[in-house]
Amino acid sequence: MTTFQDIIHLLTGTPLFFVAIGGLTWGILGGALPGISASITMALVLPFTYTMDPAQAIALLACVYIGAEYGGSIPAILIRTPGTNSSAATVIDGYEMNRQGRAGEALGISLMSGVVGSLFGLAMLILLTEPLSWLALAFTPPSYFGLGILGLSVIASMSGGSLIKGLASATIGLMIATVGTDPISGVTRFTFDIPDLLGGIEPVLVMVGLFALTELMSQSGSTTVLQLNETIRIKLPSWSMMKRLKRSQTIGCILGLFEGLTPGGGGSIAAFMSYNEAKRWSKTPETFGKGSEEGVAAPEAANNTVASTALIPLLSFGIPSSNSTAVLLGGLLMHGLIPGPRLFEQSAQVIDSIYVGSFIAIVAQIGVGMIILPACIWLVNRPRAYRAGFIFALILSGIFTLNNSLFDLGIALALGLVGYLMRIAGFPVLPMILGVVLGHMVESSYRRSLVLSGGDHIIFLQDPIAVFLLSIALIFVVFSLTREFRDARKTKIEEAHS
Amino acid sequence: MSKDLISGVVLLAISGTYYAWSGGIADSTLSDEVGATGLPHVLSFVLAILAVLLIVRAILVSRARTAIATGADDGSDASLPRAIGFLLLGAVYVFVLPFIGYVAGTALLIAAVALYEGAPRNWVVLAAAGGGAVLYWALFVKLLGVHQPVGSLFQGLL
Repeated sequence: MTTFQDIIHLLTGTPLFFVAIGGLTWGILGGALPGISASITMALVLPFTYTMDPAQAIALLACVYIGAEYGGSIPAILIRTPGTNSSAATVIDGYEMNRQGRAGEALGISLMSGVVGSLFGLAMLILLTEPLSWLALAFTPPSYFGLGILGLSVIASMSGGSLIKGLASATIGLMIATVGTDPISGVTRFTFDIPDLLGGIEPVLVMVGLFALTELMSQSGSTTVLQLNETIRIKLPSWSMMKRLKRSQTIGCILGLFEGLTPGGGGSIAAFMSYNEAKRWSKTPETFGKGSEEGVAAPEAANNTVASTALIPLLSFGIPSSNSTAVLLGGLLMHGLIPGPRLFEQSAQVIDSIYVGSFIAIVAQIGVGMIILPACIWLVNRPRAYRAGFIFALILSGIFTLNNSLFDLGIALALGLVGYLMRIAGFPVLPMILGVVLGHMVESSYRRSLVLSGGDHIIFLQDPIAVFLLSIALIFVVFSLTREFRDARKTKIEEAHS
Repeated sequence: MSKDLISGVVLLAISGTYYAWSGGIADSTLSDEVGATGLPHVLSFVLAILAVLLIVRAILVSRARTAIATGADDGSDASLPRAIGFLLLGAVYVFVLPFIGYVAGTALLIAAVALYEGAPRNWVVLAAAGGGAVLYWALFVKLLGVHQPVGSLFQGLL
């Protein structure tokens, strides 16, 4: 159990303070670069964490996530280009305020609403995560199998309109997860006598390859030129303005909590939903779309809340609900940390560091956000050609740090090509990452269950937790299938009409 | 041929190759009922079924449509050869790194990518590449203590 002294020690501990500030700064810079999403920003820093203390490494990733969610709103407001997907809703009124010469005000509202959302999200994270994780103490191998399947069922809602493609992507991810040493018998599989493959293909290589390298490849040759006004400075909202924004921020926080807890929810859905609801409940709905302060506050409070609440299902059950939390799960597994109650018991310092690091990052966001804005503008204004060169070199240097292996670089480059081809063919990459991350757990718990039951599959129906989790997974899949068929039918009707 | 049809054929080929490779997995006396080949066999069958579904759907869709829309958005700005060219720069970097070492290799990579992406050929490219390489060397080698390759060409000098 965490004591007050532990918290004070962590709050005043110099390394964690610097880790939090460093992560926040990196996150804001990465989030501010259009095309570099929160997950890519996290994936870029993931290899660096390999040699770090696990508690600081995970805190760093959590702080990068917080920073990236705020950073995404900077180009959204200034150049009508969301830095991250979840800041897309901020464009509507944020850019309109900029056009009216109120860019500094919009940036200030975005920053403070983000802080409000993040603090609310952190409070929920602290309150809900540990009690939920205790459920996992009663977990047996069949329950873990059910949990793995529930994690994989998220694929159904993340398949981007084609369930077949999503499932195929996940199957290939599971295939990648079978490379290496078999979890039960210890024989090698698909290693082709290459020693570097004995330990399998690390999820971090898959994430960096599929997210970061694919994005660089797809931006190659782009002639888009972004230019930000270098004289803009943040203007923090007054107390009376904050009181006026209370309703929209509350809506953002509540919807952010709900979407963070829902697998497949994510910041973008939360942001758009809160924008709509804030407009519905606003006293001045007619100002929405014309530079409304509430139109900036609601989505920013929502997507920043999600940055914290999305960690609840991740830390309690190991279910990543978005790309960013999948990267964070990769970080946990890379350091040998398994989500669930044992994480709270055996690695309490990791949990404390996430809480304290996030708190430092959220509070520091106000100061860092104001100081770093000119640096963000400078970075976005650099020629894309140099930016691509520096990011590519950073990615490859980072991958090498994992195992000091050039083979890893080859694997990451090959996965970059796979990701690019998948993008061209319209295959979502997240199911593949989930397959790689959850594959080992699903296979080993399935086989352990059968060893316990002497090969009888009835064991999965005798375990109440497994039955519950498998039923939820089934509901998710059925719900997603129904939605897909409904959307397909709707599109067909629309096509016939047009 | 539509993208989905090509994708389906490629997935079928992946499934077949993976199944064939799984035949090479050794038996173990420690093995359980499912065995080390159990999941790989299931996965290859699942992928084959999905591939067939994708192929059937692609054929049905192409029959239903009298005209196939061209220039559909593939969610990417770059053409395939250009993107592969970008990746090849990384492959060359991996190949030359053991010979020329981290600093020279990184400088070359930054310069090559910048020029490939349309940076004007002038001293700025050289300065940025050199500065970037030194910056990353300081970060990775000096600060993080990572043993980046020294390079066989320069090993005698150090």
